[in-house]
Amino acid sequence: MAMPQISPADQAKLQLMQEMEIEMMSDLYNRMTNACHKKCIPPRYVESELGKGEMVCIDRCVAKYLDIHERIGKKLTAMSMQDEDLMKKMSS
Amino acid sequence: MVKSPETVALNELDKDQMKTFSDFLMSYNKLSEMCFTDCVRDFTSRDVKESEDKCSLNCMEKYLKMNQRVSQRFQEFQMIANENALAMAQKTGKL
Repeated sequence: MAMPQISPADQAKLQLMQEMEIEMMSDLYNRMTNACHKKCIPPRYVESELGKGEMVCIDRCVAKYLDIHERIGKKLTAMSMQDEDLMKKMSS
Repeated sequence: MVKSPETVALNELDKDQMKTFSDFLMSYNKLSEMCFTDCVRDFTSRDVKESEDKCSLNCMEKYLKMNQRVSQRFQEFQMIANENALAMAQKTGKL
């Protein structure tokens, strides 16, 4: 799978892109943790253990958050592609 | 001064370690803020009440447990997403 002709400039770009993706993933993770904590753990800390309902809530919250993330991503790409097409049509 | 490959690698490692350390400090601060706002509401006395102390410690422990669970689930989802991407790539490669 090795691609023979990758220039150093392209390689640097690729690495930067990868770093950005990792940064974006950890940001996503932090935001999701905050959101699910707010939504699933009531601020009454009489116990240090997670309750059963809280666990189920967290599982669903993570699944749902990533689901919505994906949906928005798809919609956003579709919209930006539409925009690009329109721009091309306008300029041609 | 010419940098040897070793020092470059060391700097890279340093950068990673510093990042981990600063992440840890940030989450420490965030946790303190969160548990303080959730647990301490009464300012009629200066001393930390036993209930406040217990609440804050529970808050911290619970948050860490929640984080663990979220991370587990997140990893599972990422694994599935990777598998799907791989399957897609193979499919389109074959077609």
